[in-house]
Amino acid sequence: MRFADFTAFDLVLLAQGLGVNIALFLATSLIGLVIGIAWAIVRYYRVPVLSEVITFVSELLKNSPVLVQLFLVFFGLPGLFHIRVTPVTAATITLSANTAAFIYVIAVSAIESIGRDQIEAARVFGLTRWQVLRHVLAPQAAAFAVGPLIALLVNQLQVTSLISVIGVVDLTKIGNILNMRTLKPFVVWTAVGLLYYAAAKLVALLGTRFENRLRAHSAWRGL
Amino acid sequence: MIKVENVKKAFGQTTVLDGIDLTIEPGEVVSILGSSGSGKSTLIRCINGLEKLNGGQITVDEFDVGKPRELAEARKRSGTVFQLFNLYPHMTVLGNITLAPIEVLKKPRAEAEATALALLESVGLGSRADAYPAQLSGGQRQRVGICRALAMQPRYLLLDEVTSALDPEMTAEVLAILAKLAQEGTTMLFVTHEVEFARQISDRIVFLDKGRLLVDLPTKEFFAADGGMAQPRVAQFLSKMRKD
Repeated sequence: MRFADFTAFDLVLLAQGLGVNIALFLATSLIGLVIGIAWAIVRYYRVPVLSEVITFVSELLKNSPVLVQLFLVFFGLPGLFHIRVTPVTAATITLSANTAAFIYVIAVSAIESIGRDQIEAARVFGLTRWQVLRHVLAPQAAAFAVGPLIALLVNQLQVTSLISVIGVVDLTKIGNILNMRTLKPFVVWTAVGLLYYAAAKLVALLGTRFENRLRAHSAWRGL
Repeated sequence: MIKVENVKKAFGQTTVLDGIDLTIEPGEVVSILGSSGSGKSTLIRCINGLEKLNGGQITVDEFDVGKPRELAEARKRSGTVFQLFNLYPHMTVLGNITLAPIEVLKKPRAEAEATALALLESVGLGSRADAYPAQLSGGQRQRVGICRALAMQPRYLLLDEVTSALDPEMTAEVLAILAKLAQEGTTMLFVTHEVEFARQISDRIVFLDKGRLLVDLPTKEFFAADGGMAQPRVAQFLSKMRKD
């Protein structure tokens, strides 16, 4: 029964799977961050029609299961447009869009949390709307948003496990394969869980360090 | 010259300014007195373009505040100091003062910082350039607020109850600086509750009541029994202020 044993080499396989999750997480978080912030800027300028469209799309993305979105992109888009969508492409599109929707909400509420007095103080000295955003609102909003943002990212890291369902060989998928081979679910899923935990903990730790730096000078920590 | 002509402003059903006419010549120090809710702060907020007018016109050196294109130019000519300081909490004192000169006037950073440091020196805060607003006392914050406005080299300084949030000791700190600016010939529009101080530094005193300009007289005449004091509302207001 050699093949049924859980060996050290299997840990390497799991680590490789985790690498897939982390790569996808980093890529989709970055794309989501860029898109989400761009959406928030459109809203800041109150661009007619476009602002409403963005709010509606982000509502759709936030209020439906990621798994359903993933199926829609992976099975639905090829069916409708007769194009080929690989599992990795589908996962990247879905998770990026989903992350963008949440980052949009965080960014908008962070900008709105900064008092009108700050905008007025900058506007009376002749700063343009962009300069106000860039120098006065964004730095303060970032300090406000970084907490919710870290919570979101930790969650999005776990959500990447959903891609195993459409055939991407990630940590969860490899766990599944090892489980079938070894028939030791407790050992396999514990190992898988611990690896996700370690990765999430790392994200949270890095985030907290970043947060402390951003908030070092802020009044609401009382210095 | 700041020219306020028949300015009307209402918030919903509430009329706040009801046909104000006022002219401020360069070099003048004009104080605006009046009870809370008389429209003093709103008038300042109309002059620096923070409120849209419902009627009338305000020009700062011929630039119409009501026209978006001219507002930018008008704003470059006036500097506002706020009641609650409104400093940028994430920037150092130096950053607060140099932001607008660098971004709006396109001054080189080194020059803007040199100007800022000289201003800070003149208000006794030369050593606090690298502090954050949260590390300063109220009086110090308002002195930074004044430096921030002065760094734009405005022709007109608009002061909106700049000592209302300060205790008497800190108020004295700030008023001393304003007295110095008045002596140096800075044009100031000074909304205040500090009647005695207004009397000392102002060339003219304007009294607002329920959104209307009731009295606009040279300081001496304003406090004379047959001048501003002849108005019952003014006499009543001043007697109340003195009791406090």
